Parts: sequence; structure tokens; C-alpha cells
Amino acid sequence: MVRIKVEKPKVHKSVALHIKAITTAFKEAISPGTITIHYPRERRKLPDNFRGLLQLDKEKCINCFRCAHICPANAIQMYQRENKYYPGIDYTKCILCHFCVDSCPTAALKPSKIHDVAFASLSTMVLPPEELAGEPEMWREDTVTVEYDFDGDLKMIKRKEVENLIVEVEKPKRPEFVAGAAFPENCIACRICVNSCPQNAITFKLQDLQTMVLEIDFEKCTGCMVCIRNCPTQTLLPFRREEVLKGGESDEQG
Amino acid sequence: MVDVSGIVSGIVEKIFAALTANMVNIPILEPLINKLLQIPLVNLVVAFILWKPAFVILFVPGLLAVTVVLLIMIWWERKLTARIQWRVGPKEVSRRTGGIIQTLADGMRYMFQEVIIHRDAHKLYFLQLPILSFIPVLLPILLIPAGTIYAIRSPYAIQIAVALTALLPIFILGIGWSANNRFAFIGTVREAFLYVAYEIPLMIAVLSMVLLYKSGDPFVIVEKQWIPGIFMNPIAFIAFLIGMVMAAGRLPFDISEADQEIAFGPFVEYSGIIFGLVMGIAYEKLYLLSLIAAILFFGGWSGPEIAFLGELSYAIWLFLKAFVLMGFIVMVRAIYGRYRLDQALKFGWSSLLTFSLIGFFISAGWVIWLG
Repeated sequence: MVRIKVEKPKVHKSVALHIKAITTAFKEAISPGTITIHYPRERRKLPDNFRGLLQLDKEKCINCFRCAHICPANAIQMYQRENKYYPGIDYTKCILCHFCVDSCPTAALKPSKIHDVAFASLSTMVLPPEELAGEPEMWREDTVTVEYDFDGDLKMIKRKEVENLIVEVEKPKRPEFVAGAAFPENCIACRICVNSCPQNAITFKLQDLQTMVLEIDFEKCTGCMVCIRNCPTQTLLPFRREEVLKGGESDEQG
Repeated sequence: MVDVSGIVSGIVEKIFAALTANMVNIPILEPLINKLLQIPLVNLVVAFILWKPAFVILFVPGLLAVTVVLLIMIWWERKLTARIQWRVGPKEVSRRTGGIIQTLADGMRYMFQEVIIHRDAHKLYFLQLPILSFIPVLLPILLIPAGTIYAIRSPYAIQIAVALTALLPIFILGIGWSANNRFAFIGTVREAFLYVAYEIPLMIAVLSMVLLYKSGDPFVIVEKQWIPGIFMNPIAFIAFLIGMVMAAGRLPFDISEADQEIAFGPFVEYSGIIFGLVMGIAYEKLYLLSLIAAILFFGGWSGPEIAFLGELSYAIWLFLKAFVLMGFIVMVRAIYGRYRLDQALKFGWSSLLTFSLIGFFISAGWVIWLG
């Protein structure tokens, strides 16, 4: 057995250390540096890019399916409502990565700071688009918002205010696209694009027995590219909206 | 024919007269007490409750005061320790008062919990000893006077009271033995080791103060304190304080209980209200030693008299002094970590013993100097 010899502290030094410990205790007892947040009654201020529950603005949604395609957990499913498709989220799968928020071209999917959630059962965790829209049911007891001040000693800043947990997101600045027929000779007149268009912007007209005319209403087209993805012969391609509007409407035939 | 009812009423009258001759005088309650004394039978009960020896045991500094100490001191300890350690402490039971009735709520929970007696326990002693441990708690109270409220007056009162409080570890040893559990055994052996290490310096510190006042009678001791005893012999006070912390099993020396290591040692098998009782033992001992410390070092019940409380004001002063001292001692929990058994033994047998002996010589010096 190896015995480790520890140098014995001198008496006056250990007495000084005892006194220091006791004075520290007294100091803390009088004015403690407690940094506890009394959670249901107080809330920590969260940053705007906090990844909480998602919200859907059905008016803005252009049915582009991008959120469903990008979701790494496969949590987003598109539900058919009338002629359109809207995303619904399965929170049993959702990992709150907010890729869907980033991918949404019209800011229809909005982030929020709501993270303290309870569901009644597993089946209620699957939210259809109707339940995604609007604020969820909330009981809020908090009257104080707390922020930490990390400069120097850790301090708390308490404010008597209730934080709005819903984040308003502006529409991201991205070029707007519309669908146009780039290679009309490919078209086999299968009408998949007509049926798939959520805006009913595409129409087919029978000119004579040999030719069909494909018309795209650029006013209606939102650039969701559903038709482009669905076209089996790659007839359609996205075009920049401003360029197309300059060049006038393009009717193609097949 | 013998007049039975006459004899009985005569005896009752004699008892009543004996009780009323030695009653506590509380001016603020006098109209109520006088009214109650008019009612037959009730007057006997009231006279008995206010009879000084019964009053000492039942109210201050007896059972009621012990209950108040248990209810408030445990809460205060948790709250103060939490404050020092940047936590919040008990809060949710009665939020506005900062959770002051938390201990009461815990006690209620213990009340409705099943008392489990495991198969290996020595059933008789396992259940008896926690209740019997009230004997060494309440007996010293008979000898600790609060002003004119006292049960027994003796020139050896302080010595007897300290000797009786020293009986409590015997009950803890019995509890540990009857529990028949390995943790209980470890805790019991630790307690047995420590027992002598702290009790001797504690007693020397008490005896040095008794030597200083040349009497063990609390009345003489309080009379002789022209300045509080803590200034006459601070070394003895420090020895007494540390011995008290060890004796009451407060944190730096709660080696026998050590909940993180051996899960409350001797008390590991208890549940329900019996667990509440055994957990109270440490606080009761702390309370008793605080009362003795208040008498020896802080001038006992001397203080400005509160007119409307009459004789009760002495008791209140004594209680308040003991209470403040306890409130300070429970803070030690937040400052120090637990010592190892060998460290505590070494400390008790070397430094603490030396300290108490120095205190003894200081007292002897005072006695020689003052003559």
C-alpha cells in the first residue's frame, strides 16, 4: 500500500479558511446569487429562431410539397382538402429540425417558441392541417420574463411582461418561378399536369384532332412546381416570373 | 355509613388547592382562566395544565416548544441551506409564506403511511425505542427552568440535564441493534465510536462553566452573568458549540446517519410516523443542548420583561435565545462537507479535547482571579 503524505496546513491558515467559508455562507444567506427560474410563473426569454412547435398559415400555403419532401424524419404528410394539399405533422416523428420552415417559399409554415407541450394520447400527436393552423390551446401562468446576463458574473434580468411565443416570419426573398413548357415536342397530352395543379392554372384545349393546346395561367400559377415534378416526359420547366411576363404568354402545343 | 362523596370532594378540593398554589401567572389570559376555574371538573384540568411542573413539560420549554422547533427548524434549515447554495428550497406548500408548513405536510404524510416492520427486526425494541427516546428528551426539561417556571430546583441541575441528554445515543444504539440491518449496524458502530469522542469535551466545557459560576443551579448561573458567559470564556463556548454540533448529529459530523453513504444508518428500516419520530431525535437533542447553552453562555432568561405575558416572558426569552442559536447551528450544514469517521474521531480526541481543557483552565483562572 502506498501512503500519500499530505502536507498539514498550518493552524492560522486553516483558521483563516474556516472564517472565509463562514463569511461566504453569511454573505450568500443575506444576498444569494440564485439564478433559478420559477418556470411556470416565470419564463426564460427565448431567441426568435427557437425551434418549437410549428404553425401553418393555410392562406399562404401554395401546396408545393417541399416541406414533406425535405422532412428528414418523414413526419410531414400532405392532406387533401378540397382540391388542394396541406401539410400535417406527426409529432411522434418530428425532430423539430425546422428544415420545413427553411424550405417553405412563402413562409406559410411558421416557427414558434412553444416547447412545453402535452398531448392527451399518441393518436392526438398526429396533427392534420386544421389543427396546425392557429395558436394551440395554452394555459400560461407566467407574468415575468427572465433573461440571463452573461457579462461578468452571471446575473438575471427580470421584466414584468409576458412574451409572445408566436414568431412572425416575413416571406423569404427568393426568385419567383412559374411553370412553362420548355420542350413542347415532348408532350404526350397525358394531362397529369392538369390534374395535379392545385391552382387549376393549367388547361387543355382540343384544337383539332392532331393538336392539343396547353395553356398556363401565370396569374394563377404560384410556382409550386408540382406539375414539373409530375410530368413524365419533362416537357415543363420553371421560368423566372419576371422574364416570362416580359416575353408574354406562351401557349404550347403537342 | 361513610360519606363517600364528602371524602372524594374533600380530596378533590385539596388537590385543587395544591395545584392552584403553584400556578403560572399570565396576565393576558387571566380573565379566561378565572372563568374556566369556576366550572367544576374543567377547573381541575385547567389547574393541572397551569401547574408549573406540568406546564414546563407540556408547554415551554417542553412538548409544545419541541413541536414548534421540529416544525419550524427543519423548514428553516432547508430554506437557509437552499438560499446559501443558490437553490430555492421548500416552496410549493403555502407559497405566500415560503413553504413554512412544509414540515407539517411531511408529518401528515408520515401519519398516513404504513409502518413496516421487516422480518429480521426485533419487533418489541424496534417499535418501543423511538417512543421511549422521549424519556431522555423530556426528563432534562424538568431540570431546565425558565425564570420562575420550573419543576425541579437542584444545585446540580445543569450536570444532571447534560448527563440525561447523553443518554440519547444509548437509545440510538438500541434502535440500530433492533433494526438488524447491515447499514443500521454500520451506523450504530459509528455512533458508538463517536459517542465518547464528543461527549467528553462537551461535558468538560459544561463543567468549566459550572466551575466559573461555582454552581450548577441555573438560577445562580443566570444571576452571576453580569456579562454573558460567552465573553467570560469564549474557548469553552467554541468547544461546547462544536461538541453540540457533533452530539446533535448535524452535518459535518452526521457520520452515523450519513444518508448518502449508509442511508440514515440506524434509522434505515423505519417508515411512517415512527421514522418521523426517530428523525426528530437529533433535533430534540439539538434543542436541549441549545437550551443549556442559552443558560450557560447567553444569560438564560434574562431580558426585558414583557408585562402582559407575566411569567411566560422569561420562558419566551429562553426559548428565543435557544431558537436563534439553533438557527445558526443548522446553517453549518451549508458550509462544511461531512468528515470521515477517523477524521472526526481524531478531531474529537485531540483538538476538541484540548480546546475544552483550555476552556477549563480559563475558568479556573477566572475563579482564582475573582476569588
